[in-house]
Amino acid sequence: MIRKWAAYFVLILGTLVGALSVAYAGHVENGDARKPIQFGLTAVVVRENLRFLDQWSQYLSEKIGHPVEFVRRKSYREVMDLLDSGRIDFAWICGYPFIEKRDPEFIQLLSVPVYAGRPLYHSFIIVHKDSPYRTIEDLEDKVFAFSDPESNSGYLFPQFLLASQGKTLEGHFRQTFFTYSHAETVEAVAEQVANGGAVDSYIWEYLNDKRPALVGKTRVIQKSPAFGFPPVVARIGADPKMVQKMKDVLLGMSNDLEGKKFLAGLKLDGFGDSPPELFDSIRDMAAKTRKALPWATAAERKKNEMAAGKE
Amino acid sequence: MKFGLRRLSSLSVKFALTITAVVAGVAFTIGALIVTLDWQRFHRELESKSFLLAHSVSVTAADDILRKDHWSLFKSLKKMAREGTGELRETGIITAMIIDPEGVVLAHLQPNENPLGMPLALSDKTEERLLNSVRKLRAPGILNGGFGSNGFLEGVVPILSDEKLLGFVRVRLSYQELILKAQRSAIIILGVTLALVVLGSLLGAAISRRITKPLTAMTEGIEAVGRGELSDIRPIPVSNDDELGILASAFNKMAKEMAEKKSLEEQIAVSEKLVALGRISAGVAHEVNNPLAGLMNCIDTLKKHPDDPELVERYLPLLDKGLNRIKNIVESLLIELRIEEAHGTGNSTSLEDLRDIVESEINGRNIDFVWDNHLGDDVLINKRRVQQIVLNLLKNSVQALHDKGTVTFRTFRDGNCVILEVSDNGPGIPPEYKNQLFDPFFTTKKNGTGLGLWIVYRLVESMRGVIEVESEVGSGTQFQVTLPTMDVST
Repeated sequence: MIRKWAAYFVLILGTLVGALSVAYAGHVENGDARKPIQFGLTAVVVRENLRFLDQWSQYLSEKIGHPVEFVRRKSYREVMDLLDSGRIDFAWICGYPFIEKRDPEFIQLLSVPVYAGRPLYHSFIIVHKDSPYRTIEDLEDKVFAFSDPESNSGYLFPQFLLASQGKTLEGHFRQTFFTYSHAETVEAVAEQVANGGAVDSYIWEYLNDKRPALVGKTRVIQKSPAFGFPPVVARIGADPKMVQKMKDVLLGMSNDLEGKKFLAGLKLDGFGDSPPELFDSIRDMAAKTRKALPWATAAERKKNEMAAGKE
Repeated sequence: MKFGLRRLSSLSVKFALTITAVVAGVAFTIGALIVTLDWQRFHRELESKSFLLAHSVSVTAADDILRKDHWSLFKSLKKMAREGTGELRETGIITAMIIDPEGVVLAHLQPNENPLGMPLALSDKTEERLLNSVRKLRAPGILNGGFGSNGFLEGVVPILSDEKLLGFVRVRLSYQELILKAQRSAIIILGVTLALVVLGSLLGAAISRRITKPLTAMTEGIEAVGRGELSDIRPIPVSNDDELGILASAFNKMAKEMAEKKSLEEQIAVSEKLVALGRISAGVAHEVNNPLAGLMNCIDTLKKHPDDPELVERYLPLLDKGLNRIKNIVESLLIELRIEEAHGTGNSTSLEDLRDIVESEINGRNIDFVWDNHLGDDVLINKRRVQQIVLNLLKNSVQALHDKGTVTFRTFRDGNCVILEVSDNGPGIPPEYKNQLFDPFFTTKKNGTGLGLWIVYRLVESMRGVIEVESEVGSGTQFQVTLPTMDVST
């Protein structure tokens, strides 16, 4: 008898909790009119430029007519998780996480920035300017810095370079670490904490302009083929009107004076509309790497995910 | 030179030097103490700074080590070094590192020389010793890397996670700033010390001047008293009512009283002289008057009986005798006056002339005469006066002895004085005569003038000497004359 009552009680309680949570979720989904649009930023831009980013978010807010807030996270993984869980609607990520297989897919390509006339960039293998190394092979048994375990330019490309020679990162380098920022990879190489590093060409060139003293201590020894520039993506579940508006505003930046000012600050020509196929070369490279070192990449991935700490 | 030495040994200089020495001693001791304490304080500060810095790194290090996040480890070192040198600008961080328990570098501020993932480069024995000490530590500790300008200390904090040792944070701070700081404070303290010493010596000079000035004045005063210039002593200014002031006023009072006493004595001496003069005049009048009455009688009688040869024969010797007596008295007085003005000097052999005179005075009687002259030839004496003193005393003794006995004359030098001693073993002087002994015209002898001892007394006094008499009835008499050598020749 008592058991039956208890069962009813649990059922009622469960229904109540469920209803409440659904109601709450709906509340979030529909959005308080003033709840800002969350825009995730990763290592693809120099996140430390706080004042500039504040002004830019201010610009976007005014253009969209809704507050826009940049959300900074250390790793791509964290930003992807925020997208996955619906806590942010937009993010500027890297080509590598973009091409990764997801089931179900929860992001869509919104815009690809145009850099130096093209929506493309490279991966640079850099060393200290006084060091004798000329290729990544010379860095055997040395210390190497990566930016992010899900970075194309900062991790996948050097991994691919070695994998194509049948080498693993662990086997080739004595020690590796992640800086979670291309700028800090440049610092690590400049400070000689790492003998070499892999960085985003756009960031390296951007820093070369802003902090020539730092970048001047490094030297590019290898340059990757052109890849699709780190894209801006939208969450598939996000309000389509808002997504369209964001796309319009980003694409329209190159047409207004203030927008140009921010583009100049970012050293970009504009935000363009490129097809997702732009990133096929990255997908191809990832596939080749996996194929060459299936066990290694799996183990590496697991390790790196642990290292990323999923903070 | 002599003047300089005198100045160095003077009280004022000694006093000033003593005060300077004491001030310098105290100031230098305190200075050294402060420098030592400062050094210890700076050292403690440096220790706690190194601890603080190492701790600041160790807080996040455990997680980073577990995640092999070498970049974060390096960044935390870098941040510590940057902030460390920022807020503790005077503390030079030589280096800092994070090593694992085996001594492999996890992060190092000089990554070029100490590559990641390699055993720590040990450049010398000190580094080896330090690494071994570090690896034994399980609690935060301070290690010493030698002293001097290249010396340093190291704050070491072990990184523990769930009691498992993950590594060590080592922060190395240079002693250089510590030394500079200590030097700076030492220079300041030395300056203050020297200033104190200078002030101390000035103070010492001022105090000693204040103390010795009245003392010098008093010394001059006392010297003046010694010279007998009592009226010349200037009163010492009395500025304070402390011990020195009391001493000065006591001295002033004494000097004044002595001056008064002296003038009183002078007055007494004047009146005594007048009294003596009166007594002499009375004595002369009396002594001359006595024979005069007899002489007048004789002359009267001879006038009445001018043709009586018997009378002439009887009275002429009387007249002769009476006039001779008067002549003796006058001669004695004249001798005294002449001798008082005599100034001829001679050495002690001039006394030898007296021996014959005394021998003739003895005139064959059974009297032993002992002559004992110990004065050297270099002692100059006023011949006439000393001769007269000795002669009178010897004559007295010889006369006192009647028929037999011994007369002894002894003279010698005693320091700054010449001693003349005349003694006999005669009947002695009755005590009741002692007070009149030197009075003029006092005599116990039938034909004596009573002027012999008086003359002696006057001569001794004129030479600033002293005459003493020791006499016992039945055993004899001794006269002792003490004359200062300064005056014995004048």
